Amino acid sequence: MTGALSSLSAMRWAAIGVAVVIAAIFPLVYTDPYYMTIIVTAEIVLILNISWNFILGMAGVWNFGQLAIYALGAYGSGWLMLHQTWLPLWLAILAGGVCSAIVSVLLAFPTLRLFGIYTSLLTFSFAQVVQYVAVNDPRGLTGGSFGYPTVPPLFSTLDQEAYLRNYYWTCGAVALAACFAVAWLRQSHLGISLRSLRDAPAYAAARGVNPRVTRVVAFGLSGFLAGIAGALYLSFEQSFTTSQMGLTPMSIDVTMLVIGGLGTVTGPLVGTAVVTAIQTVLIDYPGWQLTILGAVLLVIVVFIPGGVIGLLARWNSRISAWVAEDTG
Amino acid sequence: MTDLVAIIANGIVYGSIYGLVAIGMTLIYGTMRILDMSQGSMVMIGSYVGWWALAVHGVNPVLALLLAFVVAFIFGTATELVSVQPLLGRRNDVDFEMVTFITTFAVAILLTNVALQHYGPFQKNVPPIVHGNLELYNGVSITYHELTMAGLSVALMGALGLFLARTRWGFAIRAVAQDLDAARTLGVPVTRLYPVTMGLASALAGVGGVFLGALYFASPTAGDLPLLLALIVVVLGGLGSLSGTLYAAYLVGLMQAFCEVKIGTTWTLPILYGAILLILVVRPYGLRGTPSETRL
Amino acid sequence: MSAALSVQNLTAGYDRTMVLRELSLAVNAGQTAVVIGPNGHGKTTLLLAISGLLKPSGGTIEFDGRRIDGTAAEALANRGIVHILQGDGLFPDMTVEENLLLGAFVRGSWRERRTTLRRIYDDLPVVEEKRGQKARTLSGGERRLVGLGRGMMRPARMLLIDEPSLGLAPVAIDAVYTAIRRLKQESGATIVLVEENFTHIGEIADRVHILEAGKIVRSGSFDDVSTDRTVVETYLGAIVEGGG
Repeated sequence: MTGALSSLSAMRWAAIGVAVVIAAIFPLVYTDPYYMTIIVTAEIVLILNISWNFILGMAGVWNFGQLAIYALGAYGSGWLMLHQTWLPLWLAILAGGVCSAIVSVLLAFPTLRLFGIYTSLLTFSFAQVVQYVAVNDPRGLTGGSFGYPTVPPLFSTLDQEAYLRNYYWTCGAVALAACFAVAWLRQSHLGISLRSLRDAPAYAAARGVNPRVTRVVAFGLSGFLAGIAGALYLSFEQSFTTSQMGLTPMSIDVTMLVIGGLGTVTGPLVGTAVVTAIQTVLIDYPGWQLTILGAVLLVIVVFIPGGVIGLLARWNSRISAWVAEDTG
Repeated sequence: MTDLVAIIANGIVYGSIYGLVAIGMTLIYGTMRILDMSQGSMVMIGSYVGWWALAVHGVNPVLALLLAFVVAFIFGTATELVSVQPLLGRRNDVDFEMVTFITTFAVAILLTNVALQHYGPFQKNVPPIVHGNLELYNGVSITYHELTMAGLSVALMGALGLFLARTRWGFAIRAVAQDLDAARTLGVPVTRLYPVTMGLASALAGVGGVFLGALYFASPTAGDLPLLLALIVVVLGGLGSLSGTLYAAYLVGLMQAFCEVKIGTTWTLPILYGAILLILVVRPYGLRGTPSETRL
Repeated sequence: MSAALSVQNLTAGYDRTMVLRELSLAVNAGQTAVVIGPNGHGKTTLLLAISGLLKPSGGTIEFDGRRIDGTAAEALANRGIVHILQGDGLFPDMTVEENLLLGAFVRGSWRERRTTLRRIYDDLPVVEEKRGQKARTLSGGERRLVGLGRGMMRPARMLLIDEPSLGLAPVAIDAVYTAIRRLKQESGATIVLVEENFTHIGEIADRVHILEAGKIVRSGSFDDVSTDRTVVETYLGAIVEGGG
């Protein structure tokens, strides 16, 4: 099963390395702007999903406010980019992440007292409030439903291909780093604490895991990543509308997470890829997109609860057992 | 004074319909420990049935309501069979509540988009059940439709209460809600009870949909807002507590009426949500529910 | 009316932990078998497996010549198996009367529920006094009696009773066992009763079985078992006079 970096065999590392190299070379070879845009957007969504998977899947917290946090990252960094022009753009993006992290941590506190479903309502309400305020835009901070005003892009170039390439690498790098970070965290003290809190809270408490600190830290980390994703989105798409926070994107993201496998490290990767593919193929039939996604979501959750990754893991262990039987 | 009458009148109307839509959700949660995210879709289905029956075919309103009840019941039962029944083996897993949250949510997405495919994105007008206005006081009036809506909602909720208190199946539902294993040893057929419970809850929401259709039109997303409001009411009242749901429904109704009259409709929802945030911080289990006791 | 129970090599437990390990037990029709033994060794698990609340991993359970292992509890309830759960299994927010009425839930008994209820009230006046109160508000002993009453609301071919004296004061225990004795007489059912407390067992046991580490390690009549030195020292601390 995907897990500790140190326990990954040499073969796995080699495979990852090859994949990374291929991914890195990819934009040099393939330049169709339409699909590249889709891919970069998918990378950004992937970062968001990784962050959400961390808090929802690994920590098991019913946090449905992640999209609002994501949006706040966009707004935060956008404000800095427009009004604090002395700040290097990449720093503004990081700052967007920090801003999101702070809000996320604040959101964590009231959830400490709530159990399961109530947390979902609290975080959801929070997201709705943020969305409403953003749409109504009392102080011209968010651009309302028209979207955020244009910000200076990370890479100012008139060459569309170069623009796409650079963003591809940047976002891809962030996504990759996030993946590794989550994999490492999963095996770290924090990750183990989170998972034990999720699966067996009484046991965890008996072992001295501090649920409060752990949860707040989890919120902070996932918020940071979500904020970065939001900032990157704003920077790349040159706009950010409030519909990005709505129920539809939320449904789609949840579907991505579940298809890939909630709580796994590579789940978001698989899920994002699969759903993006479906969406791209069905681009002309928006109604069908969601119908199929809804159906797929249902089928997966009912029959393949671990998502694709879970399924692969089971096959993997079955194959290993079978091999062991033969050779043992 | 005018304002007060308006607030109370509208508050009671809203509260009643919210109660009707939310009570199904509470019933489901109390009995099955599931937050059914497809209840909003049942309202939507009810709205379309209302449109089809009343606008397209000019059917008698009572028949229209009955039809919505039956259609929504069927959809509700089907939803349970598809999104909950297969998961019952994993009932004791850690994630059961979250998984069923997602599966019912998936059904909601499916239903919304099937409706979108079939009927298109544009709203359809649903005629009111009864036409005409009743003047209450100094310019404050409510429509007969709203009156009927409130009255019938209260009647239905009362009927549900009687059903639970007096009939064999009502007993069975309450038993399952309070102690599943004990109910099973007494012969309560849980696997048959679950779809019926969900069907019943959905049926109530469907009837609500016919009423709400006249106020908010029938459209594929007609269920979104009712779902959100039902969630608010149910959690606020304390998950699983029928009486809590009732109180919360009227509380929310009054809050909404207050906002509309005094502040302006745009801010109603965010204020409601803000209020929820505050209430949950102070009373983590909602107004009346405590985790171990279900009051069904 | 009643029938024989035959448990053979039953293995059952939770997740990966098996509590019962190839347990075998036979009870003749109409007889009362009392299962005693230390806590956590599987007494409750045994009853749960028999009544269908727990699916066994191995072995067979036969009742009245038919296999019942793996059959759901709801179905078995319809065949005359009455399981009186540990604690009491009462519905806390329902009144005593509602709890009792639910005892007659199965088709066939539901119609006569009012008549049966009247009979139960006559047998257990203490319960009738509290008929309108929520089960939650009753004392432990009262709840236990209501639980037994509920079990009497329909004809039982097999009664499974889980630790009826658990957590009760001696006076309450007396009342509970009086009710159990009456239950035994009136229903003539095959009874499997699980107990920790040895005091009243002699009054009703036709056979006593000792369950240890998931298996039956000793069976015999009450007199045999209660006078066996090793048993007494391990479990009982003192030789107990067979109650009457």
